[in-house]
Parts: sequence; structure tokens; C-alpha cells
Amino acid sequence: MNKPLENRPQSSRPVIDAGGDDARREFLRNFLAGTATATVLMVFGPGVAALAQGGSDSAPAGASGKAAPKHQFAYVINVNNCIGCGNCVRACKRENQVPSAVFRTWVERYVVTGEGMYVESPNGALEGFSQVNAGIREKATKSFTVPKMCNHCENPPCVQVCPVGATFKTKEGFVLVDPEHCLGCAYCVQACPYGARFINPVTHKSDKCTWCYHRVKNGKLPACVTVCPNKARLFGDLNDPESEVTQIFKDEAWMVLKPGMHTDPTCFYVGMPREVV
Amino acid sequence: MAAPSPRSHLYRLLLILVVFGAGFLAVKQWATPDSWNYEHWYRGDAVVEAAAQPLVYGGNDSCKTCHKDVAKLWRKKPHRKVACETCHGPIVDHAKAGKKTAVAFIDKTRAQCLNCHLEGINRPRAFPQFSKQGEIGKLVPKHKELDAVTPCAKCHEAHDPRP
Amino acid sequence: MELPGDALLNYVFPNNVHVAWSVMIVIYPYITGLIAGAFVVSGLSHVFKVKEFEPIANFALIAAFCFGLFAATPLLVHLGQPQRALEIYFTPHLTSAMSIFGYVYSGYLLLLMIEIWLIYREYFVRKAGEDTGVMKLIWTVLTLGVTTYHPDSAKLDRKLAVILAGIGIPWAFILHGYVGFVFGSVKAIAWWATPLQPVIFLLSAIVSGMAIVLVMYSFIKWRRGERLDQPMVKKFSAFLWGIFILDVTMELLEVAFAAYEKGWHWSQIKPLLLGPLFETYVIGQLLVLSVVPFVILGYVVLSGVKGRLMLILANVAASFLLLQVLFMRFNVVVGGQLISKSERGFVEFHWEPFSKEGPLTAIVLFSAPFVAYYIISRFIPILGHDDDSSVAR
Repeated sequence: MNKPLENRPQSSRPVIDAGGDDARREFLRNFLAGTATATVLMVFGPGVAALAQGGSDSAPAGASGKAAPKHQFAYVINVNNCIGCGNCVRACKRENQVPSAVFRTWVERYVVTGEGMYVESPNGALEGFSQVNAGIREKATKSFTVPKMCNHCENPPCVQVCPVGATFKTKEGFVLVDPEHCLGCAYCVQACPYGARFINPVTHKSDKCTWCYHRVKNGKLPACVTVCPNKARLFGDLNDPESEVTQIFKDEAWMVLKPGMHTDPTCFYVGMPREVV
Repeated sequence: MAAPSPRSHLYRLLLILVVFGAGFLAVKQWATPDSWNYEHWYRGDAVVEAAAQPLVYGGNDSCKTCHKDVAKLWRKKPHRKVACETCHGPIVDHAKAGKKTAVAFIDKTRAQCLNCHLEGINRPRAFPQFSKQGEIGKLVPKHKELDAVTPCAKCHEAHDPRP
Repeated sequence: MELPGDALLNYVFPNNVHVAWSVMIVIYPYITGLIAGAFVVSGLSHVFKVKEFEPIANFALIAAFCFGLFAATPLLVHLGQPQRALEIYFTPHLTSAMSIFGYVYSGYLLLLMIEIWLIYREYFVRKAGEDTGVMKLIWTVLTLGVTTYHPDSAKLDRKLAVILAGIGIPWAFILHGYVGFVFGSVKAIAWWATPLQPVIFLLSAIVSGMAIVLVMYSFIKWRRGERLDQPMVKKFSAFLWGIFILDVTMELLEVAFAAYEKGWHWSQIKPLLLGPLFETYVIGQLLVLSVVPFVILGYVVLSGVKGRLMLILANVAASFLLLQVLFMRFNVVVGGQLISKSERGFVEFHWEPFSKEGPLTAIVLFSAPFVAYYIISRFIPILGHDDDSSVAR
């Protein structure tokens, strides 16, 4: 999947004009929204006046998807630059107090041979990688390391399946978990095609990468981006023409993981070999 | 009193259901968080709470306020891409509220450098790599004279590691 | 073991090491299925007027209720934050297949209670007049204070009970079809993602629910030293056989379709079925637990076999079916998670017998409905005695 960046916001958040197909679609949308609203009002009682408003066009200021958000964050992983040092994994663990044996980010090493491939991520590459043994090294046709993490999808299946609204996508693109509302049912863990989510063994709640929301909100970069020594990890605002992530799109072909899942990740990969799943 | 209606038990059942239903709706209203966002279906305060998580890493800017000299040196080449905290660890272990609380971490052995610079088939070709102790010298003739433990930092200033 | 994706090394994503939905989520749809199946038996009598099932209609209804009481307990044990379980009622996120569970489930339980209440109201009224002390109070509360039984009420109650049974059948289907939907709609897991999943869950639910009704009925009658109703068991076997054939057809269709299609699904499923699931799926669920009861029930239905042998055969087949459905639940729920989302390896499943979500807890939770049945049966007549016509209808 290599669509131009400019298409992304339009394709996932249609701007609806009157007339033609779109008018029909809007009617259907409003109709469905109206039905849902009515149902909600009937079944779920008071306090939904806000929803009734939100369903129509008079959305509360700043809460609707219609007004373009100020920031539109994106993450870029440049596989060509990853050296597999594991600094990102360690920094993430430390920054977010991620318990052992679970990972908000991890790094995979691929060793491709004529017979097949060796893929591994020992302890998420917390300690980096040991050297490949001589036998496999001789057969290897190529080898590389790939960082993985939550893809902060435009159509996040995890958000869709959460039964209580304990995970959500913010206007600026962060997919977050509400630890005060999460049941720990793990349906989101099942729904994520990327293995990015886990049940935190200490808190017993769903957990995953937040793009270091607390850091970004304080004007910092995510911890993994901060410590990456070779610019394999970039983070920035697509609305800012000067940001590194915006620059990448000008001259590089990018990919996303598992495009067939149609989750529309906003974590983009540059230089991703086809072996990566 | 007249005989009860044949439906009286159903009326009573209905009354119970209505009372329970109303009670449920009241409880539901009470139990829904005040900051609930009905449009996007999440607890509004969750965003505020998420943003309040304490920072561990400070980023280079937080180091520069005190270490102007090192920052200058570091700005040259080729470690410009490497952040202070990549090798020194997070700032919370070193300073709080602008005051030094402990000596900043640094591993002065060869392991610190080899974490990134140890030769590996998975590393990009153009990335400078050196083989393990004993085999040093593949790339740099001078390295041939080294023993297995002399730290790289003996000859190289890590902030500006040019030969 | 053959690995998918040209992998030479079993590679699972670091967060995929554990099976997040284990034994608790295996027995949750199992118990839910028993409700649906048992309810169908009572519905066949109440709504579709299958004469032979009339003597066991109320029994099946009470059994469904007993399973219903405990259907949600495995979920509660499974949750990381069980104290927040009621959030599913307070802030149900309607885009989630799971969100309406609370409402569908409690609505169904309420329907069962009202139907049972309507059927047994005459009995409650009678007991409220006969008993004394605490029991009188309890019976009176159950009558809602209407302690005379108006002759017109009988007709009305019967009519209402039939209407409720009529609503209850689709509702039971929704309750269980929807459990299948929860799995079938997860596109990230190849072994789950099929629109047939709700149908398979529903049909297997009916199979297991009917089977448990038959086994419980036979056990109770045997313990009482009473005669089993042979024409009923025969008819029952025929229904069970037919629905089981439908069930297995759907199960095979799902795999056959994926195999013929040879798409992404099959690239994941084939190594799974020939690898980690070979024993429990191919040998267990298909070769032993499907073929044997199919043959036995076929013999019971098609041959003229009668008497003790027929009863034993029907019960053996029903027991096999109970296991078949249990295996199916395991193979779907756990099996789907054995394929790592890395698409290059399989997760290892550990039984962990004594863990919070382990088999021991499962046994305790699964016993609870039977204990509940025993307790209820001490107070109200459920399955009529041979010489007894006191049971309502």
C-alpha cells in the first residue's frame, strides 16, 4: 500500500458535500446516527443530550472531527537506519514502567536465507541482539532489524471492540487506554493484528504504546525516538511542513504493516523489506 | 372488597420491573463518569490523566541548560544524532528541578560503545562497526595494537569520537 | 512441525507468549450454549407443540435457568478488573460486539424468570396457603402477594408463557449467535474470522444443550429408579441427530472453504490444524467425538432398537456430543490464539491447573448450575414422578 499522504485524511474522514452519492451517504449516516441516538436515549437514559447534539452537525466546539485538529501526529520507522541496539526498548520500559516479559515496543531481527528465514526478538531486544552464529551467517542473503509498536491506526480494531469505551483515539492521532475504566477483558488484545497490546501483568489492565502521550503533550518526543541513536525512529506533526515525518514523505516510499487488515496505521515504515509481517 | 382482577399479579410484576428499571437508570447515570464524552465514548479526564504521567527522560534540551560546553562539543560530528540520555540514562537519575541529585551514569568500558558499534550482519553496511575483542583491527590498522579490554574512550572522546 | 511464513524458527510476537483467553473463555460459551440448547427443548414443546417433549419442557426450562445463573461467572473470573464488570451496563460501547452482552444476557435471564414464574405461580399460590412460618413468607413473596389463583389467570398465564417462549427462542439464538459473532468478527485471528462462526456456535449450542437435558433427565430418572420415557428419548435422539448433522456440516464447511480457497486463512489454519490442534481438533473433535455419536444416533433413529439398549446408546451419544462441543469451544477459543500474529509461529498453551483461570476453577463453576438445580428441585416439582400429576401442565 503506497498511497500519497495527502489522500489519507480525506479518505478516512470524508468531507461531505450535498448532492449525488454523498448526499445519500449523509442521509444514511444521519439516519443511522439518529436511530442510534434514539436507542441510546431510550435505553440509556439521561445525560445523553451531548450525544444528541454531537450526532447532528452542531457539534460542541473542538469535539467534532469536522474541524481539522491542530496537530496530526505520525510515527516513521526507517528500517534502513535501525542498528538493533535496543536503546528504544530499554528507554520505553523505563519511561513507562513496563513490566518484564511484556513490551510496548520491541525490535525484531530477520535473517533471510535461501531455505527460509530466522525471525527472533529475544526478550523484545531489551539487551539488543547477540551475533548470528557462523553457520546461519554463511547462508544469509540479507539481515535487518525492525522496530515494532502500536500503529495508532486510523481505524483501530482495538477501539472498536472495547466493550466499555476504555480505549479511544484522540483527534491528534493517539490511541490511548483509560486505565481507570479498563475491565481487563483482553478483547482488544485479540483484535489487534500487530500484537501491540497486552494485559499488564502488574495492573491487570490493557496496556500498550501511547506514543508517550505525556511527553508529547509536554513538548518532548517519545522516549524511544529520543534515545534512538541512528534516526531509525521519527515522530512529528504532519500538519507541520518542516517536521521530519513530513519531510520523509516527500522523497521516500513508505509502507504500513499488514495493509490487508485495513486498519490504516499512522505508524509508517520506510525501507521495509517484504519479509516483514 | 371485590375479587382481585385476574391480571393483578401481572400489574404487580410490571410495577416491580418499572421500579427496577428506573432504579437501574438512576444508578447508571450516577455510575457514568462525569467527564464522559458521549460523542467519542470515553472518559474525558483520561486524556488529562494520561498527560500527567511523570517524565523520566528529559531530552537534550534539559541537559543543555547546565552542560553548555559538552553540548557544543557534541554538536559537531558524528554523534550529533545520539541523544545524551542514550548513553547516560534518563535525567531523573541525575537531576531534579534543575539540581543535580546524583552523578550521571556512564559505562566507560568497551561494552558501551559496542552496544551500537559491534559488527553484526543485521546492521546497515554504512554504519561504523568493529569486531569483538581480539579481532579488533579489521577496519582500523591502529586498532591492531590494542589489547582486549582497553576502553575505546581512552583514545576517543565519546562526544566527538572522530579518530 | 511445519511453520507458516517460511519460518525456520518458531517466532511469536513478544506480547503473544500467553494465551489471553484461556479455560474460562472456553467454558463461558459452553455454559451459554447449554442455556440456549435447553431452552430450545422447552420451546419445542411450548411453542412448536412437539407432544413427546411436554413432560420435560419445564425441566428443560429450569435447567436453562440454572445454567443461565452462572453463565457470566467465568467472564467475571477472567476479567482483570472484575469489580468494574458493571461498566458494561453503564457505558456500553455500541461499536463493540461484546458491549450488549450485559443487556442481552440479563434480559434473557429476566425472560426465563418470568416464564418460570408464570408456569409455577399456581404452585406458589397453593404453597403459600399450605406452608407456615418462613416458607409461607417466601412463597407469598413469590406470588407477589396475589394469594388467590383466579381461574381466568390460568388461561392468561399460559398464553403469556407461550408468548415468552416464542420470544425466548430468537433471544436465545441472539444470545448465542452473538457469542459466535464476538469471535467471528475478529479479523486479526484467521481461525476465528468467518461469518459461519455465529451459525456454528448456535448449532453446537443447541446440540450441547439438548444433550445435557437428555443426560440429566436420564440420570435423575435412573436415580429415582423410575422408567424413562422411551418415545420421548427416541424423538429426542432424532432431533439431536438432525441438529448435530447441521452443526458438523457447518464446522466442516468452514474448514473446507478455507482449504479450497487457499488464501491467507488457509496459510494460517493449515499448519495449525496439522500442528498444535491435530489431537484436539482432527482426532478429538472430528474423528472420535463427531463420528461416533453420528453413527450411534443414526442407529438409534433409523433402526428399531428399543428398551434399555436404546436408552444407553442415546445417552452415550449425548455424552460424546457434550464432549464434542466442549472440544469445539476449546479448539476455537484457544486454537485461534495459538497462531501468533507474527504469522511465523505458534504460541504454546499451558493448562496451569491451579491458576485463577485454570481447569479447577472451571470445574467448580461448571458444577454450580447442577447444585443450583438440586436446590431448586428440593422446593418445586420439576420433573414429574411416574405417579404424580402435580406438576403444572
